[in-house]
Amino acid sequence: MKIEVKCSCGDGSCPEWAIVEIQGMIEVQPCFKDRIQNLEIGILCRTSSEENYTFTVGYHELSGTKMKLKKPYLILKKKRTILDSIPDEEEDVSKANSPKIETELEVIGIIRHRILFKTRPKPLISKPQVVVKEKKSGPSTTVSVPMVQ
Amino acid sequence: MEEDPSKSESGGGGGGAEGIINLKPKSSMPISYHPSFGPHEDLLLLEVDEKLLPHILHQRVTVRGECDEEAVLCTSSTTYAIKFVGNSNSIFLIPPFENSEFTDENGEKGDSYKAAQVLKLASGNMELVEIAPRLGKLKSLLMENPYRSEEDSVDPMEEEEYLERGKMGLYRWEDLVAKVQASDEELRAELKALSAVEINGYWRIVDDKYIDVVLSMVLHNSVLFDWNLTSLNEDEILSVLESDGFSRRISLHILEVYGSKLDTDMDMEGKCVWRLDEKRVCVHFAKGVLKEGKMKMDRFMEEWVQKIPARMSADFEMLEGEVLVEKLGVETWVRAFSVSSLPLTPADRFAALFREKQKWEMKDLHPYIRDLRVPGVSAEAQDNLQCISFAVSVYHILSVCISYAVPHKYSRLKVYRKSVVSIQQTSI
Repeated sequence: MKIEVKCSCGDGSCPEWAIVEIQGMIEVQPCFKDRIQNLEIGILCRTSSEENYTFTVGYHELSGTKMKLKKPYLILKKKRTILDSIPDEEEDVSKANSPKIETELEVIGIIRHRILFKTRPKPLISKPQVVVKEKKSGPSTTVSVPMVQ
Repeated sequence: MEEDPSKSESGGGGGGAEGIINLKPKSSMPISYHPSFGPHEDLLLLEVDEKLLPHILHQRVTVRGECDEEAVLCTSSTTYAIKFVGNSNSIFLIPPFENSEFTDENGEKGDSYKAAQVLKLASGNMELVEIAPRLGKLKSLLMENPYRSEEDSVDPMEEEEYLERGKMGLYRWEDLVAKVQASDEELRAELKALSAVEINGYWRIVDDKYIDVVLSMVLHNSVLFDWNLTSLNEDEILSVLESDGFSRRISLHILEVYGSKLDTDMDMEGKCVWRLDEKRVCVHFAKGVLKEGKMKMDRFMEEWVQKIPARMSADFEMLEGEVLVEKLGVETWVRAFSVSSLPLTPADRFAALFREKQKWEMKDLHPYIRDLRVPGVSAEAQDNLQCISFAVSVYHILSVCISYAVPHKYSRLKVYRKSVVSIQQTSI
């Protein structure tokens, strides 16, 4: 099998995606488990002109930094197309009868930066002190403590 | 399927990936799940070196392998293994705001105008590790149906029918590319090394016996027509051999395998001139002599010298990497042991060598390992390594081999030592 890696964005104009990475995991409260779409996770805040960020999730605050990836990531999308096989004159019949599935990989984006939060979460005593419009759903997620090896 | 991943446009401090990347100091942005958040198993993260990036963006790479094999990625000249690096961290993937591909059923983008929306939680990424091409399979594919003398004598009228019958185990270039895990350049080089030839669109290895017949025919005719073995006229040879029932393609193949094309002289009016390579011809006959098994040195030399063309002279040094010499008491024996019959990967090669003989002297071992190359290690380093690692046990050499092939992986592990990282092979 030979899979072509396609790219329709050409040089330099690949759409850039972003990564926010936390060392740990977000647990959605059970009542929201089935309707996670559109749910707010938290507030990302750039605290200074340096690349320092906080990520406030519920009553926990994580601090982290934005860093350039040493090697960029490409986002590949796997596409499967079922080909209506048209038997080639030369092609043997047995091969042509079974529908051929063609797999294709397409580059749909590139990631050059990630914002990494690897500190332990700091509990916030009062409501998050972030200047941002209040969201309707309110805090709905919690951060579990990062795994310690 | 024409989907156009639209360009990223960050309008008015909007959300999406561009909102995060360009977040101004002292400002903030909510992060939420995307309306179509889900496992999205068809989305893969591939870590790519900057130098490799242009190759991919210009669609010059392919992923190769069969369903049961570990996938490799090939540029035009290099082969990379694709490894999955698992990561226990939560990696939130956030697409650009204007990304038409990921809208929910109603085409809504939710609150994306002000939020960054997480489309997928990635469990790790794939990374590329340069490897030696996996060419071992090529020979066995081509040996399924070697080109034999019968095919050459087929009447052109019946040729089509003959081809239909004999099509089993025949491979076109496209078939080989789909089956063998190597880049185009590496595959071409190996086809050349195997003396394969493209006949009627299929890549073939010519049967040994038939090669022997045609080569002998060239040499016989050279005596008959008084040809000079160092300047053979291509047209003349092909015509003479054709009248003897050998196809022009096969005769030319013999010239390609046992000779080299000379720069055409102006006087020759564009005619191709070939020169037979003494060493290659002599090695061919030595192998023929040893076909039956091992022989005493004196008898072998006698028979060998008899076999080779009168105007060539045999030298035992020519047989480096082709025959092994053994001393049994006062007698010296030789037997065929060709480097071309050995596995191509270092670990398998050493295992095969030590199966053959328990102890090797460096000078004997060298011809059997000098063609091995481990990607990412310079030729000098490899030579040094070969010098210090000879004549020890198989296991020692194997472990050296393995350890110099993998330091890259260890450094990866260090980078991630605070979170759990696992590396595994990926299949297609």
